[in-house]
Amino acid sequence: MSNIPDITVQNLGKTYEVPQREPGLGAAIKSLVSRTTRDVEAVKNISFSVAPGEIVGFLGPNGAGKTTTLKMLSGLLHPTAGEISVIGHTPYARHKNFLNRITLVMGQRNQLMWDIPVADSFERNRAIYRISHGEYNKTLDELSTLLDLSDLLSKPVRNLSLGERMKCEIAAALLHRPQVLFLDEPTIGLDVTMQRRIRAFLGEYNRRHSATVLLTSHYMADVEALCKRVIIIHHGELLFDGDLSALIERFSPHKTIVVDLETERADLSSYGEVITAEGNSVTLRVPKTKTADVTGKLLANLPVIDLTVEDPPIEEVIEQVFSN
Amino acid sequence: MYYLKLIWTFFRIGILNEMAYRVNFYVQLLQSILSLGTAIAGLAIVFSHTDTLGGWQAVDILALLGVFMFVGGVIGMVINPSMSQLMDDVLRGIFDYTLTKPCDAQFLASISQIRVWRLTDILLGAGVLIAALIYRGLDIGPHEALAFAFVLCTGGSIIYSFWLMLATLTFWFLRIENILHIFQSMYEAGRWPIGIYPHWLRYILTFLVPVAFAITVPAEALSGRLTPESMITSGLLCVFLLAFSRWFWKRGLKNYSGASA
Repeated sequence: MSNIPDITVQNLGKTYEVPQREPGLGAAIKSLVSRTTRDVEAVKNISFSVAPGEIVGFLGPNGAGKTTTLKMLSGLLHPTAGEISVIGHTPYARHKNFLNRITLVMGQRNQLMWDIPVADSFERNRAIYRISHGEYNKTLDELSTLLDLSDLLSKPVRNLSLGERMKCEIAAALLHRPQVLFLDEPTIGLDVTMQRRIRAFLGEYNRRHSATVLLTSHYMADVEALCKRVIIIHHGELLFDGDLSALIERFSPHKTIVVDLETERADLSSYGEVITAEGNSVTLRVPKTKTADVTGKLLANLPVIDLTVEDPPIEEVIEQVFSN
Repeated sequence: MYYLKLIWTFFRIGILNEMAYRVNFYVQLLQSILSLGTAIAGLAIVFSHTDTLGGWQAVDILALLGVFMFVGGVIGMVINPSMSQLMDDVLRGIFDYTLTKPCDAQFLASISQIRVWRLTDILLGAGVLIAALIYRGLDIGPHEALAFAFVLCTGGSIIYSFWLMLATLTFWFLRIENILHIFQSMYEAGRWPIGIYPHWLRYILTFLVPVAFAITVPAEALSGRLTPESMITSGLLCVFLLAFSRWFWKRGLKNYSGASA
């Protein structure tokens, strides 16, 4: 791995001009003649870089600017401010060498053709990317094994379930063996098993090919399983960029203590906020700074069988981040 | 070579797509035959009252009908479906996938949908054309044949450029399918030589909606009416419109990506 980042973003900004219209028929007719617009800053002054082979989770609530950023990185949108470099290219120039080495998967938009077998849609991509038959068969074999596609290839897309379709969409996007993957909610709407399946695949693909991955997802399980590092944006601004563990450290002022007692139903509310109390097991939330103190007291004063100190779930931390 | 291979791939996919709905083939065949039948019946009625129409004899108008069906078939097979698909893709955000491909986006968009069964129109059109020529005693020489091929290609390119420019408007206005419908009905006017129309309509059908160059001019080449001026105008207009529509397309893309804002 070289030290030159695959993705470098400096002071990136994107302002959209959106048409504005009052509700109602009168306003609709008026807008036929004169359109008023207002500027919306979707992305403001964002900077980060991603090293080759890294998987980075790109998080933020709906409308935070994640998709806009991914679109600028993949060359679909022209930034209004700042610089982007992806594998040495300026994305919006859409140079063939650049496009040949990246891919974009959008969980809510399909590129496979509805009426024809999956394999024929793949064939279209093979022709467009000028992949030799030998190379294509090798890649398809690998993807088929990893994603368990062999039974799906001969079926028309309209006969596939949502999960099966997503597996095929991902495979179609990887046939040309891109080095940089932009994945916009690749697991959206899928059941837990299929989510896990796709997650496992992405991890394995990254290990095998040292591909660089920038992933957005609303499912924290995706992020926890795949991304050591996360970038969080909110209202178009960068809120956090660093290790997942550092995120929890920084934004969660609490720890969770789970105590198993010999006796049942002791009232522990004097030690901290009781979250659950089931049988002999009690879960407490305590301020991070008091963790050692409370743990000591619990052990000294109560018949404790087992005690564990945990970080709160990542969802809770993220919620905390956005509420600040 | 790469582009030819791609066209073949898309053509193959077009066949596969149509195979999914096989009944369509018979419906399309029936439709082609019916429209040919009514067109010929129309010709028969008109020429039962007169020997020439705007200086054209029945057999020449039959050849014109062949060109009309042939060009209409090409439009219906590739140009119209691809351009409609483009508008739909832009509206639904799927066009992003076209832009991330390492291939010219205009080219990909222009061949993205191929309605293979419209081949029936192309073949019937060619058949009618040949039948008309045989009826006339195959009296065209190699020069006329070459001139015909030339103005047919330039006329086709003019129509393509025109259609592309209309479809490109989608980058600014999103929903503009209606414009294509208007054009479709204007195209119908091309089944008669444009010389029979009043002056103002002739002007519209020549330069505003260039049906004249796609149909009347090639048919003129077959009946010895083609003037060098028409041929040169068709060639020049073809080059100009190909370049202009390309420029317009690139402006549209810029607008799509927000580069012009």
